[in-house]
Formats: sequence, C-alpha cells, structure tokens
Amino acid sequence: MKLLAADRPIANLMRGREIGSNLALSADVCVVGSGPGGAIAAARLAAAGARVILLEEGGSFTRKADFHMQEAEAYPKLYQDHGNRATDDLSITILQGRGVGGGTLVNWTTCFRTPEATLALWRERHGLSDFTAERFGPHWDEVEKRLNVHVVDAAEVNDNNAVLLEGAKKLGIETELLKRNVVSCLQTGACGMGCPTNAKRGMALTYLPDAAERGARVYADCRAVRLVLDARKERVTAVEAEVLDPATDRPTGRRLTVSAARFVVAGGAINSPALLLRSGLPDPHGRVGKRTFLHPVVATVALFDRRIDPFYGAPQSVASHAFIDRPGKIGFFLEVPPLHPVLASLALPGFGAAHREGMKLLSRTNAVIALLRDGFLPDDEGGTVSLREGGKRLSIRYPLGETHAEAMREAMKVSARIQLAAGAREVRTLHKDPVVISGERDVRFIDERPFGPNLLGVFTAHQMGGCAAGADPKGSVVDGNLRHHHLANLWVFDGSVFPTSLGVNPQLSILGIVAASAERMIAAKT
Amino acid sequence: MLALGGTAFLAFRRTLRAAKPRAALSVLSPDEYAIFAAVAARVVAVDGDSPATDAVDVAGRADAAMAQWPDSVQVEFRRLLLLFENALTGAVTRTGYETFTASRERRQDERLAAWAGSRVAVFRSGYQAMKRLACACYYAAPESWPATGYPGPPELPFGEIE
Repeated sequence: MKLLAADRPIANLMRGREIGSNLALSADVCVVGSGPGGAIAAARLAAAGARVILLEEGGSFTRKADFHMQEAEAYPKLYQDHGNRATDDLSITILQGRGVGGGTLVNWTTCFRTPEATLALWRERHGLSDFTAERFGPHWDEVEKRLNVHVVDAAEVNDNNAVLLEGAKKLGIETELLKRNVVSCLQTGACGMGCPTNAKRGMALTYLPDAAERGARVYADCRAVRLVLDARKERVTAVEAEVLDPATDRPTGRRLTVSAARFVVAGGAINSPALLLRSGLPDPHGRVGKRTFLHPVVATVALFDRRIDPFYGAPQSVASHAFIDRPGKIGFFLEVPPLHPVLASLALPGFGAAHREGMKLLSRTNAVIALLRDGFLPDDEGGTVSLREGGKRLSIRYPLGETHAEAMREAMKVSARIQLAAGAREVRTLHKDPVVISGERDVRFIDERPFGPNLLGVFTAHQMGGCAAGADPKGSVVDGNLRHHHLANLWVFDGSVFPTSLGVNPQLSILGIVAASAERMIAAKT
Repeated sequence: MLALGGTAFLAFRRTLRAAKPRAALSVLSPDEYAIFAAVAARVVAVDGDSPATDAVDVAGRADAAMAQWPDSVQVEFRRLLLLFENALTGAVTRTGYETFTASRERRQDERLAAWAGSRVAVFRSGYQAMKRLACACYYAAPESWPATGYPGPPELPFGEIE
C-alpha cells in the first residue's frame, strides 16, 4: 500500500553549492523569501505568465535527506539563527522556520482563517477597508483544498491535547478540534523537525513546485542583502544577495544580483523589516520594524500519574478561544505544544537537580500554552526590529508591560485549572521559582511571583508585523494592497504586514491575504 | 576604590582545566571549553540514571554549534564565559573568591543561582544563554533520552512509503 506521496522536486531549483560564480539575473518579478507568502505569490504570478525568480536564504530540504526527527539536526538547520533567535535580552525565545518553504517546514500544521474580529479591527482602526472574509474567502477555499486542510478526527487527539480538551470540558470552557494541513499523517509528532513522511502539505510540496512548473526559478542558500533603488529613490531596481555555503551557512563570497520590474519581499516578520532597513528604503515616518507582534506565549506544565507521551501524535489538535475577548485587557487563546527533550529542557526553569527531576518526568508531562493576542489594545505597539553592528545583526526588542503581565497571570491560572481538572497531580509555572499548584488553593500564588525579563519563561512561534499595512502612510509601511507606500514596484507579502497579531495561528491568514493581494498586483498597471 | 583594589587580584586567577577537549576546537579556547564544561555539569547535574555531561561531551557539542554562529555572537558568548568564570565576579555576587571552575559544587550552584535571579538584567540574560546551550547540547544527545522516558523517534514503515 502506498501510504504517502514521494518528494516532489522543485524544478528549476538551484542550491548555493551549485552557484560557482557571481550571477546577474533578470526577471519580471523577484520574490525574496519562500514561506507561505512568497510561495503562493510566486505560484500566482507564474501562473499569470510572469517570469519569477525566488530567493531563499535557507537551504532546500527533503524528507529522505534531511528530516530524521532529531532535534539536534533540525533546530540548527531549519530555524532562524540556528534555533537561537530571541529578543536581545533573551527574555523571549523565538521559534521561526528557515529554509525553502519557510515556516511551513516546521510549523505544527494548525490552520485557522483570520477571525472576523481581527479583520474588523483592521478595517476600523487601520483603514484596511476591504479586508473582509468575503474577499479572502474564495482564496481560503482554494488554499484549504490545495493543502488538504481538514478538521482532525477525535481519534487523532493525543493524550497531551486531551488534557486541554477534557479539562476544559469539565470546567465548562469551550474548545474546538483544530484543522490541519496534512495527508495520511502517521502522527510521528515530528512536525517541528520537518515532516519525515511528507504528510504535511507545506510550501515545498505545494505552491513552490506549482510555481516552478510554470517557470519560476528558485535559488536556495541566497540571502538578500539589500534592495537597490534608482537614483530618485522611487523604484527598486535590483536585489543583491550573497550566496551561502550550506555546510557552514556562511557567505561563499559569490554574489547574485536580480534585476526585475517588480519586487516582492516575503522574508517573514522580523527578516522583511530588517531587509527594508538594511536597504535604506524611504521611511519618512519611521514605521519599518515597528508594531512587531509575537503572540507571546506562557505555559504551565502538569505532571500526571500516567504516561502522556507529549512527543508523539499530532502536535496540536485542540484549542480554546474562550478567553480571546477580554474588554480592556489582552485576550489569549489556549493550545498544546509537543514536548521533545531539547524543547522541554529549554522551557523548564531552573538548573541542577530540580531541572533534572522535571526532565525525568517528561513522559508523564503535559503542557498547555496561552498565546496572547497582542496589538489589540489601542496603546499596544508591540515590539521593534532594528539593526545593530552596522546592519550585520538584528535587534529585536519586545517590552512586556503590566497589561501583558496581567494576561499572563490570568492565562496561567486558567491553564493550571484545566490541567488539574484533567487529573494532573501537580501543575508548575515556568517562573524562575515555579509556583507549584496541587489544588485551587495554590493558584493565587501566581499573583505573587515577580514579573520581569527572564523571571518567567516566554516564547513565540508566531511572528507578525514590522511592515504593517494601513491606509495612513504615517502609521504603516504598505497600503491595503500590500504595496509599499513610497515605492510603486515593491510589495510585501508575508505576516509582517499584519497591523496587529491575529489571535490564531498565522499560516492560513498569510496564504489567503497574500493570494488576494497577488491578484491585485497582477492586475495593477505599473 | 580600596575595596576594589583589595580584590582586584581575583581577576587574574586562572581557570582550572578539569575538562579537556577531545578534539580540535573550532571556536572555544581550552580555557573556555573547560569553563563551559563546568557550567554544563552544574546546569544538567546528572545523577546515576543519566550519562555525565562529559561523557556526552556537551562542551564539544557546544563548540561545534557555535562554529555556525556569526562571529560577533561567538565573541559575545566567549566574553560571557570569561566573565562568569572570573573570581572577581564571584566576589561581586558574593558566591566565593575562586574562579567558577575552581569552586566547589555548592559555590558553583550559588553563582548560577545568583545570576539566574540577579536584579541586574544582563546577568539573568547571561545565565539564560549558558543554560540554554548546555541543555540543548545535552538533551540533543540520544544517550540522555532514556532517563527522560523519551523512547526516541518512532519507527516508520519506510517500506510502504513510495
């Protein structure tokens, strides 16, 4: 029986090691970045007849050669900064994919359309008047069909996710089964390390081969260094990239220059604003890099008397949005993460014997995560991306204030109660000195723990903003068509355009909104 | 100034190279290797159920990982190790007057705890950097998995996959 599809090679793909000299190329459109935004844009543009060149700084990976379900291999190879990306003060660990396919290589396959409340806020507060479900709906329909997005069967809920499902049910908290973009998933639990069976319908198996079959050329291991402007600083004329050695991830010294009529930046939140900053693009109101949102994540870990095996099974199959609307406060939603040894060891607080004892209980451990919907309060500007060391390194800052602290405390209380209701013997927070919760009487101690950078474990797997879309150039980088306010032939097509966070996992929002925007780009005259 | 002058000699105390590299190092110096090996031993603090950090060569794995980091990040981390090791740092944090590598285990744990909970945010960041690298390098090693109850990646029916 054939269980799974074979690797689907991307025609016209060239890796860094195959580029033996400086190259000067030309195209109708040059796309920088091969994550969901860049991939679907390239597919749409190529289908419309455009000659497309796509640059990706990460490598090109396949199931057979690269995805062995080993954290030691996956994090350095498939994540930004070799798995070490974080805010400058290391207070927020940033998990962000890197490679041909971008975040879809390593995400946990959760699919949500953009919530109506989010679109409504963008229309009202950011002037994105036609950001509607009616406009994006047909694109989401197509994407969901292409990626086989479907609701998981109840039998696919592993014991880790069942804690959220059953605990919330006992407390009367609403949950939902999630949609995933997989085909014949064997539920290895290894989504975050690259799907070892090609079950995940990521970009490297879908829209990128689609684009390549229509003539798009993909260059892996090519890091866009800067966009080159014309003398009047009104148009982008070229992208300059450095070719990386896949073995060392360091520049080979060879350069690649792509001249084109139009350009799409799709490097993802954090990298896209960084490219715009490095390029010195017009930014009269200083908006590039601002309004960076992270869905900051806090977690509680629960110990059970039975095996949970949080490392196997569909990583995410249950969520709760029961606490997403909290008037005047930051809302949050609840999900469950997989726990493999390295990821767990980084999350668990402390060191020495206490840390070791926690690790010994990994197979009986569950974690519930709460993701804060940042950017919705009027004065929540999120974080910033800027450059340091002459542009060689990024600076990522994300100040956590009292509104975040309040939401995090409440989220931890909710998740702890859910875990206890599901039968946990004990729940712990990820404070430097964890709150140990054996019953309701202990929950209040969460309020007493000090709050500050590196005093509580905070993470992010969803990066948004930095090139915010909006009608007003004084407050945004791109307009409602995701076209740069000051450069007529430049579009930004990724999660960096979101003017707030989403309140849901981002891949489907990026795909649908970019697909609709690519349609307009194709129709545009210039 | 008098107080500083009285303890300045601490800054020149030498690293105890208890751990020695198994192979040529790419980034770390032998002193830095020994410092990180000592840090990792206290961060992970194995017991009889788990292989020692030296057996897994956590410091060697860290050196290999660092080889892919940008040069400036390598420099920052090496400076961090030397600062953490310095006996003067021990005096400032009231965790002894020896280098970290020469300190007893209890003193080493006190210094780690002092940094982890310091009111100085930079110390807390430094602690996180060392802890994360030590944990990542140790728990990435399959030898460490049995003690955690992680059986390893599942077997796949590769014969049935096209």
